[in-house]
Amino acid sequence: MAICEIAVTRKEGLPDPRGNDVSLEANRVLGIRTDVTTATVYRVEGLDEEQAKLLAEKALIDPVTEEGSIGGNMAYAVAFVGDDFVHIDRNSKKTLEVAYKPEVTDPISETIGRAAGDLHLPLEAARVSTKYTFGSNITVQQASEIANRVLVNPTVQETVKKKPETLVIKGERGPVETISLADKTDRELDEISTQRKLHLNTEEMRVAQKEFERLGREATDVELEILGARWSEHCVHKTFNARVMTPNGEKRPLFGRIKDTSRQYFKDLVATAFEDNSGGMNFYDGTVVLVKWETHNSPSALDPFGGAATGSGGVFRDIMGTGKGAKVILSTDAFAVAPPGMDQKNLPPASIPPDNMLRGLVAGVRSYGNPMGIPTSNGSVHFHPDFAAKPTVLVGAYGITPEQYAQKGHPEVGDRVVAIGGRTGRDGIHGATVSSGARTEKTATADAAHVQIGNPIEEKKMADAILEARDKGLIRALTDCGAAGFSSAVGEMGEEIGVRVDISKAPLKYEGLSPWEIWISESQERMVLAIDPEQMEEFGAVCRRHGVEVTDLGEFDGNKKLTVTYEDEVVADLEYEFLLNGLPQRAMGAEFMREVFPEPEIEMPTDWVKTLKEVMSHGNVCSKQPIVEQYDTTVQGTNALAPFGGVNLDAPNDAVVIRPILDKPYGLVVSHGLNPILTRVDPERGAKWAATEAVSNLVAVGGDFREMVLCGNYVSPVPDRQYMGSLDIQVDSICAFQNALEVPVVSGKDSLSSTYTWPDGRKTHVPPVVSISTMGRIPDVEKTATSDFKREDSTIVMVGKGDKGMAGSTYFDTLGIVGNEVPDVDLEILPRVFDAIHSGIVSGEVKAAHDISEGGVIGAISEMCFGGGMGVELDIDIEEREDFFLFNETAGTFIVEVESSKKAAELFGSVPFKVLGRTTNGTEIKVTNKAKELFTADINELKEAWQAPMKALFH
Amino acid sequence: MSELLKPRVAIFKTSGINCDAETAYAFDLAGGSAEIVMGEDLRTGEKKLSDFQILTFPGGFSYGDDLGSGTVAALELDTYLGNQIERFKEKGLILGVCNGFQILTRSGLLPMGTLGERGATLDRNDNGKFVSRRVNLSVEPNNCVFLKDLSSTGPYEFQVAHGEGKLVMPPDIRKQVEVNGQVVFRYVNAEGLPTQEYPANPNGSEGAIAGICDPTGRILGLMPHPERSVSRSQYPNSRRLPESFVPEGLAIFQNMIEFARVGV
Repeated sequence: MAICEIAVTRKEGLPDPRGNDVSLEANRVLGIRTDVTTATVYRVEGLDEEQAKLLAEKALIDPVTEEGSIGGNMAYAVAFVGDDFVHIDRNSKKTLEVAYKPEVTDPISETIGRAAGDLHLPLEAARVSTKYTFGSNITVQQASEIANRVLVNPTVQETVKKKPETLVIKGERGPVETISLADKTDRELDEISTQRKLHLNTEEMRVAQKEFERLGREATDVELEILGARWSEHCVHKTFNARVMTPNGEKRPLFGRIKDTSRQYFKDLVATAFEDNSGGMNFYDGTVVLVKWETHNSPSALDPFGGAATGSGGVFRDIMGTGKGAKVILSTDAFAVAPPGMDQKNLPPASIPPDNMLRGLVAGVRSYGNPMGIPTSNGSVHFHPDFAAKPTVLVGAYGITPEQYAQKGHPEVGDRVVAIGGRTGRDGIHGATVSSGARTEKTATADAAHVQIGNPIEEKKMADAILEARDKGLIRALTDCGAAGFSSAVGEMGEEIGVRVDISKAPLKYEGLSPWEIWISESQERMVLAIDPEQMEEFGAVCRRHGVEVTDLGEFDGNKKLTVTYEDEVVADLEYEFLLNGLPQRAMGAEFMREVFPEPEIEMPTDWVKTLKEVMSHGNVCSKQPIVEQYDTTVQGTNALAPFGGVNLDAPNDAVVIRPILDKPYGLVVSHGLNPILTRVDPERGAKWAATEAVSNLVAVGGDFREMVLCGNYVSPVPDRQYMGSLDIQVDSICAFQNALEVPVVSGKDSLSSTYTWPDGRKTHVPPVVSISTMGRIPDVEKTATSDFKREDSTIVMVGKGDKGMAGSTYFDTLGIVGNEVPDVDLEILPRVFDAIHSGIVSGEVKAAHDISEGGVIGAISEMCFGGGMGVELDIDIEEREDFFLFNETAGTFIVEVESSKKAAELFGSVPFKVLGRTTNGTEIKVTNKAKELFTADINELKEAWQAPMKALFH
Repeated sequence: MSELLKPRVAIFKTSGINCDAETAYAFDLAGGSAEIVMGEDLRTGEKKLSDFQILTFPGGFSYGDDLGSGTVAALELDTYLGNQIERFKEKGLILGVCNGFQILTRSGLLPMGTLGERGATLDRNDNGKFVSRRVNLSVEPNNCVFLKDLSSTGPYEFQVAHGEGKLVMPPDIRKQVEVNGQVVFRYVNAEGLPTQEYPANPNGSEGAIAGICDPTGRILGLMPHPERSVSRSQYPNSRRLPESFVPEGLAIFQNMIEFARVGV
């Protein structure tokens, strides 16, 4: 049937915020000044014009602000610039239309279907695009530039060239291929691996070859895909489980060290660790709280919006899929990206510009957490030029579940294998293997299929259905379809007893998927459950009430094999003994060679205020409020300590506290710490800094390090000798930290492929990221503190032991210096410092607290002034360099507000502390050293500088 | 209060609604008996609106707000649930918060109480972005049957969290709404005066209007979230508040419950 086109525009004279944002962006990044207006173009198939008109009036056009036209209104002239089509209308205005590529499933199409159903209209398919109309003053070339730089991500979107003839995606299913591995040489095996994007090395291919030799048959494409996914770095952590060969002899695998260190400190704190989709800590009243952080670097490098969104969606499903189901109660993120102002010349070809990258990541996280109704808080952004090679995109989620449902479930023989949630499409094929490989400029196009867009509403429905089914006792076990889709989910759930599924039953988004594609597709919003056959009917009823599709795929059959059929044809039949134990343990060389950075002479600042403003407006220090404000931080009604506080609600707090049980005072405290550049310079001190920073953040709001667990995430450019050496040191450093504080790690993840290979063969390695996050419990959310100064004439105290190291500091970065001596944390003193701060907050004697991190001592004090809307008079009273003191970033040190010096001595007498000065009713930060004036800075001016960068980027 | 005497509150939930639990909690805290009711159960007749005194549309992203916020849920009210809603609004009280307000507006129930005939819309925020922050609201002299007596109080500090909250009405309807006392809340600045300035007015809403009622005063809709101001700890500056502080959102729910108990 013909396609009807409905174009919806704003009524004359009404503002067009969407167009306005494009106009601002075009000016900001390209210097092109033009008005932009937008229209939404709906194309619907299966309806006659009358029916299309009814749909438009009832569901597509808002009669108050919009008007619509049905039928073609394409302009008469078409210009072609590169891959873009720019139309020129009667008034010489340039227009172009941007849409998702046809194979990308857009949730809006499904919603249009829902509305059409309510109106009893026979809609077959629908697509949406956005039409942009620019002023007549710009050229076709400029319109195309705006399309390329601001509007279109060519990985998932395109400019619409002509009206489509049909919107229905059709295709022919391919046959199951068999591949002979017998008698293949190593080179031939490698070729098979490369061609099929299995990312298996020669040794692994040989193991496969031997197994099929034993079976006396050829391998199917599905079976090779199973091995590729099953043995991928992403799924089995070959590196973290490898023997570590250092120049001083062999050391135990990294993962083993983390587990063994942690197990000593599980005590009665830890409920679940290292065996489920997230780690858990006992909370109060018979509940368990959960934590999981993930990386989503590879998809985000290609499409920051889709990558971050589906990263969030995936980590939420990790929580939902823990135990017998859990509720997600908090979302968080940490990005390490290139600075937005970076010169285009220094960017890898075909990479996303850094400003688009950050804007896209933020929009992605927002687009998933907000609709799911999960508060998004406590994020961070870190900048370094080398992240242009590949961003580090960390997403985290926290959850809660009753303790009787907190333990991982085990399918029983006879249980049904049930898939729920979204349908399966071609999206996300080879995500597991691609994310484990290196990136080149060709990755941008070749691996585009592994980019996906999310549908948070689908996941929200599924989340609600799972909780209802859990509480009715209907779930035996569940897990999410993440990397490698059904292959991982079904494969892992079946590994204890064996499983047989018929994947022809899986509901598809469109026709034409081959069995191997269905099996490893990473289409979002799907989970797999083990359900007692007796309870299938009740489980199905729960899902239907929530509008969630349920499919019975097969049975946990007790045969100790992974058997996959397509209807009656067996397409994979492998023994678990081989899948689980076939892969030989790797032995990895590890030797870190320290890079020595130049140490030029540094002059004392002559214009202190200017220097201070440079530090405060540095990307790593500046206010991220324009990002945080786009996240719903208060949905669920649980927020008890917000990301920002103070008289104008614009001063950052170090951690967030939520009250997950609404009628109880119990608090969940959440924070994290990372600093990639410190880890590059000195893996031992850098990792220690990250862990100390994470816990300091928790302690600064009133958390107790004895009532806390950690989650550790490692992002490394490549597991070669050098970086394996760095990881070896990082892991040992975190273990030493754990031993000093007696705290366990309960969850984490590694990602070991953040390297970019330039066309000329040169490589850029991103700085290694070790991100430590905390999850703490406190009995009463009232016994917490924010960072804003509360009263005039209070005493300002620095608590903790600062170290003289300045390498990697923001101050050094503003001077173009890296340095070599990373600030060291004294682990002897640290627990006592934490205890002193914690007791001071609980007793109410500490009125405000802020940990010292990026921006240093004076950065922390400045933020506390912003929050209090007041000034300070400080006398730092030191012999050493004033700039090194004021800009020092040693983790584990704090600035606190107390009533008097006497009180400070009472509270902090057992640890290093130093009274720095007093709060004033003024608006100035006045700093002297031994009564000699250093500088006086106006807090409003400082604040403006501190707020400016992100305000400009997120206008 | 005995459970039997507590007014029953239906918290409407459909695909994408996500503020149901905390809204139910707020009503329970205020002395009501709240139950989350799936739209699907109302469609099939499993649940009946006539068993409730208060119907609440909480916040969220119903059907992803893919066709404009609240549009598809409003279509559901107009088509499948039209008869039930028409009967309910004669005796019951209706509250819509954020996405719920958007649903009520897109369905025509606000501002004019005419299901199927839209008289206003909640348009994209002027700055084009989703905005999550605290705002201050005045309670205007109004004809909302359960909030009439609140107009001497305020300003109230509530949270907003929305991308489409700018109330736009054709001039004739805007005039009626103003004249009839249908304006219940306005965004105010530090001086307590209605303002068009961001961020005090987070979306550029005309007349700084944040919440309105229908001509009968039985249907109330507002963009800010009173359920996120029912306990002290929900205030980001709770550490600066006096001991005696009473969370402001409670009053909305308490008045509604009290009116439902006594007035019905």
